Amino acid sequence: MIIALPVFLPLAFMIFAFLFRHFHGREYVALGAAALNLLISVILLMEVNSEGMVKMQMGDWPAPYGITLIADRFSALMVLVSAIVFMAAMAYSIQSVDTRRKSFGFYLFSFGILMGVNGSFLAGDIFNLYVWFEVMLMASFILMSHGGERNQLEGAIKYLILNLISSFFFVAGIGLLYGKMGTLNMADIAQKLMSYETMPPELNPAFILIFVGFAIKGALVPFFFWLPASYHTPPPVVTALFAGLLTKVGIYSLIRFYALFLHQNSEFWQPLILWIAGLSMVIGVITATSQFEFRKVLSFHIISQVGYVVMGLGLFTVAGLAGAIFFLAHNMISKTNAFLVAGYVHRQKGTLNLKVLGDFYKEHPLWAIFFFISAFSLAGLPPLSGFIGKYLLIKAGIEAHQLGIAFTALFVGFFTLFSMVKIWMEVFWKKTPEKSAVPIIKTVLLDDKPVNISWMKWSSGAMAIIIVLAGVFATPIVEYCTLAAESLMQPSDYINFVLKNN
Amino acid sequence: MELVIAIFIGLLYASGVYLLLRRSIVKLILGVFVISNATNLIIFLSGGITRSGVSFIGDEAEKASLETMTDPLPQALILTAIVIGLGIAAYILALKYKYFETTGTHDLDQLSKTDQK
Repeated sequence: MIIALPVFLPLAFMIFAFLFRHFHGREYVALGAAALNLLISVILLMEVNSEGMVKMQMGDWPAPYGITLIADRFSALMVLVSAIVFMAAMAYSIQSVDTRRKSFGFYLFSFGILMGVNGSFLAGDIFNLYVWFEVMLMASFILMSHGGERNQLEGAIKYLILNLISSFFFVAGIGLLYGKMGTLNMADIAQKLMSYETMPPELNPAFILIFVGFAIKGALVPFFFWLPASYHTPPPVVTALFAGLLTKVGIYSLIRFYALFLHQNSEFWQPLILWIAGLSMVIGVITATSQFEFRKVLSFHIISQVGYVVMGLGLFTVAGLAGAIFFLAHNMISKTNAFLVAGYVHRQKGTLNLKVLGDFYKEHPLWAIFFFISAFSLAGLPPLSGFIGKYLLIKAGIEAHQLGIAFTALFVGFFTLFSMVKIWMEVFWKKTPEKSAVPIIKTVLLDDKPVNISWMKWSSGAMAIIIVLAGVFATPIVEYCTLAAESLMQPSDYINFVLKNN
Repeated sequence: MELVIAIFIGLLYASGVYLLLRRSIVKLILGVFVISNATNLIIFLSGGITRSGVSFIGDEAEKASLETMTDPLPQALILTAIVIGLGIAAYILALKYKYFETTGTHDLDQLSKTDQK
């Protein structure tokens, strides 16, 4: 039963938020619901860790016919990490989102995102996965344009059109796949594919369409253009939430599809995925170096870091997948925290243009440390979590004799460090330029600025502590990720577990 | 019959892409609608087009055999897809209206404020 709760709890909160829109304690109710979601995901993870997999048939219809919700170790970890990210975002939003946005359903749509994300992680049926994607996308469209500033509307149009097109690719692929296979259950499709000697070529159009859909959602090269055009426009906490959750769902689905279906035609898919991974890493990181806006630099780095995860997938060894899972979890937390610090800088200075910022370390040393931890975790410095993730991936790459991609990953690491040092120098270290060429345009999003920022500080600080702890005490997490990777490499367990009727 | 519908879907995609590539935001949105409906038709076609009986098995003596029964699943899927499409259509039109109110333009080339200078 516990497996349905990560979906039903956000739904219950959304109904509450819709009925009591003007209730003044809504921030704290939202925080409480996020904490409950975190608790549920911890219980789910413990249950999955002891039993291997947990499933539920909605409405008690047996497996290939009814809708399956299934959690294995990979999806349980993803649900837990997104619960942590969501909790931090909710705590941060209490003092960083203006009252107007709050009373027009900020929390309602945030929980819509949580519901869609959790549903996508737990779906065992491809059409159900599409529906969860749409739930998540509708909520994110609204949050993207919520507030109606000019930049936001522009960003929302770009974000909306490209993501809709990706949904069309995905659903057209599902239609074609259903036409050939006659089933929508992922385990059933995988079982039928296994019974073929080679992948029937008439399935390729469906898989290509689905792959392109996921690649647009996950912002892989060459489908990433919506991301840097829109992620810097909404309020900072919304960007943090999106950066932590949305692209990762696309990548999660890609890993799931690859492990179940696409690896059966690996001579075609593996080189393609490795190439896309390498290009995403390089292009993302190089375009980031030319940016001079705090959130834009971080947005381009999302593309590069998604490339690392896909690299682990492309190796498709236990070590590679374990590294990919660890890196995905680390990236969700570090990236979110980097954006949370960007939100604080924006709140204090009214701009995120690197050229006019400065002196932030002198004025707010604590926040500088938070940024230092998350940024250098992204760059992969020991002992932070990013180092472990990159180390696992590069080691797996060398072990799998894919030296090209392993050295690309190393080389990209240096550029990541360069960008992070650039932000550090420009925002936190240098003196504020007295007469700058670029005038400061005050685009403060807040109408009422409460002096108290304790919630913001606590949420960002807690994330920074998690990053350090995940790096120092990485062994149990890496062991868990290895188990998750092993079960991903054994799709027959997944298939038997879903199709066996109790 | 399948061939006719397949060609029709192709035409819808072609016109949808043509509309997407126009400069006006209204035409862009119309293009999204057209492609959305072409995609719905793909799901419809995936169940196979047969001239056949109702797609569920009743309690009555007149039970449909597998040969004459249409596949009910694509119909359920397409219904879901249409509802989602309707929600998105309502939202995207509202967004366009708000954008026009704020900026007074519906030229896609004006959407460059968020790009790198």
